[in-house]
Amino acid sequence: MLTFLLRRLVSAVSVIFLTLIASFSLFYLAPTDPAGVVCGPRCTPQRLAEIEKTLRVHDPVITQFTGYVKGLFVGRDYTTGGVTQECSAPCLGYSFTLGQPVTKLIANALPVTVSIVLGAAFFYLLIGIMAGTLSARVRGTMLDRVVVAGTLTLSSIPYFVVALISALFVAGVILPGSEWVPITENPLGWAGGLLAAWVTLGIVNAASYTRYTRASMIESLGEDYVRTARAKGISEKRVVYRHGLRAAVTPVATIFGLDLAGQLAGAVFTETIFGLPGLGRLTIQAFSQYDLPVLMATVLIGAVALVTMNLIVDIVYSILDPRVRLR
Amino acid sequence: MEPVHVETLAPADVPPAIAGKAESKSPTRIALIRLRQDRTAMVCLGIVVFFVLVAVFAPVLAAIEGQDPNKWNQDLIDRNGFPTIAMTGDHWFGIEPRTGRDLFARWVYGARPSLIIAGLATFFSTVIGVVVGLVAGFVGGIVDRVLSWIIDFVLSLPYLLFAIAVPAVLIAQFVGVNNATPDQVARVRFISLICVLAFFGWAGLARLIRGQVLSLREREFVAAARALGVPTRKILFKELLPNLVAPIVISVSLALPAYIVVEAGLTFLGVGLVEPTASWGITIASAQTFYKTIPYYLWIPVAGVTILVLALSLLGDAVRDAFDPKTRR
Repeated sequence: MLTFLLRRLVSAVSVIFLTLIASFSLFYLAPTDPAGVVCGPRCTPQRLAEIEKTLRVHDPVITQFTGYVKGLFVGRDYTTGGVTQECSAPCLGYSFTLGQPVTKLIANALPVTVSIVLGAAFFYLLIGIMAGTLSARVRGTMLDRVVVAGTLTLSSIPYFVVALISALFVAGVILPGSEWVPITENPLGWAGGLLAAWVTLGIVNAASYTRYTRASMIESLGEDYVRTARAKGISEKRVVYRHGLRAAVTPVATIFGLDLAGQLAGAVFTETIFGLPGLGRLTIQAFSQYDLPVLMATVLIGAVALVTMNLIVDIVYSILDPRVRLR
Repeated sequence: MEPVHVETLAPADVPPAIAGKAESKSPTRIALIRLRQDRTAMVCLGIVVFFVLVAVFAPVLAAIEGQDPNKWNQDLIDRNGFPTIAMTGDHWFGIEPRTGRDLFARWVYGARPSLIIAGLATFFSTVIGVVVGLVAGFVGGIVDRVLSWIIDFVLSLPYLLFAIAVPAVLIAQFVGVNNATPDQVARVRFISLICVLAFFGWAGLARLIRGQVLSLREREFVAAARALGVPTRKILFKELLPNLVAPIVISVSLALPAYIVVEAGLTFLGVGLVEPTASWGITIASAQTFYKTIPYYLWIPVAGVTILVLALSLLGDAVRDAFDPKTRR
C-alpha cells in the first residue's frame, strides 16, 4: 500500500511539474515579446521597460523560470507604476492589466467555482442516484424506458444551450436571479444567488448519473449475493439499498471524483453564462486582454485540481473495492 | 472490410446455420445491417446528412435566396439598430440587428465551421490516437512506457482552459496583439481550435487502442503472421487494425458531437471563432440580448446546433449498440 501511494504521489508531482514547465514555456517563452503582450494596446515605453524588468525577459531562460518557481514557494517582488510590490508565496505572477497579484485574483475566484461545483454535485448525486436506482428496479417497464430516453436526450443537448435558456428564462423568473454573495456575508443570499446555476448544472449532470447508476445497479442486482440475500427472505427494500446500491455506488463514486475535478477546472460555461466571477470567467476575461500571467495561473490551478482528484480517486477506489490490486 | 477475422471478435455469435452458408459476414457488416434496421439511427443519419448538405451547398442556398452572408443592409435598419423587417420573401430568416446582414445566409454558412472543425479535429485525433495506441501496445517495452506516460500526462491537463489560453498565445505570436486584422485573427482562431481539440482528443483513444492491442497481439493469427515473416508495419495495419474497427468507430461517434459542442460553446463565449466568420455560436452570442424582441434571431441558430448535436449523439449511441459485441443478437 505504501509503495503504491508513494508511486502515485511521485507521478502526480512529476505531472504537475511538467505542466508548470510546459505552460511557462507556452506563456512566457514562446511569445517573442511577452512584455509587449502583457502591457497591452496602450503601452507607454516607460511601462514596457518596467514590465520587461519585472518579467526579466532579458535574462536567460533558466533564470526566468527559477524566478517564477521561487515566486511560487518563497515569493518575489514586482515593480509597477514605480512602486515595488511584494508578492508573497505562493506568487503566481502579477496581472499588469488588472493591476493585482494573480494569487489574489485566483483566491477571489476559487470560492465561487468551488461553491458552484459542490452545490451542483449535491443536486445531481441526489437526483441521479435516486432516479437510476428506481429505473434499475423497474427495468424494462414503460417508466424505465422514459427515464432512459429522457436522460439520453437531455445529456445530448449542448450544455451551453441549456445553460443559456435557463439563464434567460429561469434565473430571475422562477428562481432568484443569479449573483455572487460570499457565504461569510450572507449564507441565504449565497444560496439564492447560486441556486439557478446549481439547478442547471445539477439537472444536466443528473441525466448522466442516472444512466451510470442504472447500469451499475442492474449489474449489482444480478450478482449472486443479491440472490442469496433474497433467498434469505430479507425485505426487498433492504436487498436493493443495503446489498445492491452499496456495491453499485463504487463505480459511480469514481466517475464523480473525475467529474468533480473536470468541473473545477472547467465550469467556464456555467460561470460565464450566469455571470458568476469564478475561475472560468477569470480565464475568459484574461483571454480577451491577452493577460498571460493570469492564463498561465488558471491552467496551472486546473492541472493541480485534476491531478489531485485523480490521486484521491485512485486511493479511495483501492480502499472501497478490495478487488482492485494495488500496483 | 475483408471478412477474415470473424472468429477473433465473435466466435460464438455466428450460428451454425449462417456459418454453413457460403457467404460469411464480418463483424462490421453485421453491425451495419443492425444499424440499418434501427429506425432512430436512420432518422438521425438523415438529419446529419441534411446538415452536411446545407454546409456543402451553403453558397448555392444563399444564391437561391439571393443574399450574401457578409453584405450589410443598413437601409433596413432603423435608428436604434433594430431591423425594420421580420421574415420576408427576400430575407427568409430576417436580418441581423445593427448590421442588417441576412440571417438565412449566415445560418447556412454557419453550419460550415462546426462541421469542418469537428470533422478535421476528429480525423486528426483518431489517426494520431490509433497510431500511438498501435505502436505502444504492439512494440511494448520502453516505447510503451514513454507513450503511456505521455498519454496519462495529456489526459491530466485541463483541456478547456488550454483551449481558451492557447489561441491567445498564438495570436500574440503570429499576428501581433495590436495590429491584427479581423481576418487574420479569425484564421488563427480557426486553426488553433482544430489543433487544440486534436491535441487533447487523441490520448483517450490511444489508451483504448493500446489496451485492445495488448490482448490482440497474443492471438494466434498474429503469431502466424509473425512466423510467416510478415513485416511489423503490415501486421499492425493489415492484421490488427481491422480488428479495431469497433473501438475506433465508437470513439469517432463520441468525438464528433463533443467537438461540435466545444466549438459552438467556445465561440459563444467569445474565445472560439470570431467575426467575420459566420458561425452559430457567434449568432447565438449576439442574439441573446434580443431574445425578447427578435426571438427567431436566437432560436434558429440554437435549433441548428441542438438538432445537429442531438442527431449525432443519438446516432452515435445506436452505432455503439450496433458495434458492441455484448448486445449482439
